[in-house]
Amino acid sequence: MPRKIVVVGGGTGGTIVANNLAYRLYSEIVNGKVEITVVDPSAYHVYQPAWLLIPFRIMHQNEAIRPERSLLAETVKFRQEKAKRIDLNNRVVETDSAKLQYDFLVIATGAQPDYSQIPGLEKAGYDFYTFDNSLKLREALGRFSGGKLVTVVAGIPFKCPPAPIEFVFLADSYFSRLGVRDKIELSYVYPLPRPFTIQGVAEEVGKLMEQKKINMNLLFNVESIDPEKKEIRSLEGETLKYDLAVIVPPHTGADVVRNSGIADKGGWIPTDKYTLNVKGYDDAYAIGDATDLPVSKAGSAADFEAAVVATNIHDQLKGLAPSMRYNGRVMCFMTTAIGEATMLLFDYDHPPVPPPPNFACYWYKLVYNRMYWTITAKGLLPGFGV
Amino acid sequence: MSEEKKEKIKVIDARGSFCPGPLMELIRAIKESEVGDIIEVWSTDQGSQRDIPMWAEKAGHEFLGVIHEQGYDRIRVRKKK
Repeated sequence: MPRKIVVVGGGTGGTIVANNLAYRLYSEIVNGKVEITVVDPSAYHVYQPAWLLIPFRIMHQNEAIRPERSLLAETVKFRQEKAKRIDLNNRVVETDSAKLQYDFLVIATGAQPDYSQIPGLEKAGYDFYTFDNSLKLREALGRFSGGKLVTVVAGIPFKCPPAPIEFVFLADSYFSRLGVRDKIELSYVYPLPRPFTIQGVAEEVGKLMEQKKINMNLLFNVESIDPEKKEIRSLEGETLKYDLAVIVPPHTGADVVRNSGIADKGGWIPTDKYTLNVKGYDDAYAIGDATDLPVSKAGSAADFEAAVVATNIHDQLKGLAPSMRYNGRVMCFMTTAIGEATMLLFDYDHPPVPPPPNFACYWYKLVYNRMYWTITAKGLLPGFGV
Repeated sequence: MSEEKKEKIKVIDARGSFCPGPLMELIRAIKESEVGDIIEVWSTDQGSQRDIPMWAEKAGHEFLGVIHEQGYDRIRVRKKK
């Protein structure tokens, strides 16, 4: 009987960890000693960073999607099934058509928008947190020629923390290029007393917002939205009027982890911040947006974490002690205008020190899409530099 | 002679949660509480001492203070509306 590794979730983290293990364990797999299976209900793999860029026509939707099977190594089994329940004590993943026993489990089920948390949210406005919504937002921006455009964060945590800041900066560039910026009032609305969770970055973002004449409405926690009146009400008692609202929805973990009694009340998996084990289980790991780790919900975190988990499962299969620890590394390119970006590189012990916005970072952010499909997702450079 | 009124204190243990976790936990608890209730957030995150009083002031709730314990803080807010 082969030793079985089951990866639940075929997004960034799941695909990288499966491919990297397949690379390391090639001979064991072809000799029937190890089996790697990825479970995901979707046949397609989506490059989610594109969702921010599609509305501004910086990236085309065709660059954002590939068949999952085309990314996975031939030695990895792919089951296009929905995982319904995970039994950590009996080492079983139950899908809609099978029960999969495992020796090692990787949960990489991601985060999903939860529109039900705020009354009125679903009908209120636009966002860039699903493929369809990103395309709809592109059409809405194309029609928008004047008025109040508000970018609102309606819940923390959410995927890609800099994304709403990038959205409002890109909107400033986009409408400036179209010659209608003076007809548009841009506002950035955020639940905290600063525009970003990390203090040093928040200070730089605040300066750029001021330079670009973008209003900041801080300590605004969305309570409800009235799509008819185009009003957003806050818990703090304020009412915000809008003509076009781009609202980052609250997020939660996947149904399968919430239905399996694994998740905390936010829907996230309690995860050891260094070993990435699901707390209490040395044969189960969690990576990417699904975890409760104090790092950004971002593809780069999933990439770095995948390197740690692939190494440690490989070690355990060889009878060795796990040899890698995750240090909290995250890297992202934060767009500050069309043609400019900065870089946030940080870990648990070192906060980011972003360089001045520059074209090189912007260029890399766009080019990275091609590297993602050919190198990152294939597991060829897992956690490069972690 | 006055009789000391026993106040209802709801404790939210957000120790180990990082910014802005404790503030978000407080906001969730305030939504679920009655006017007059006291919410006590336990936090190991240094930012909570700054963020929670600022939020309470803007939201119109009463910041009651911080009790420093070994390795964490107990931050109290009374729901006012």
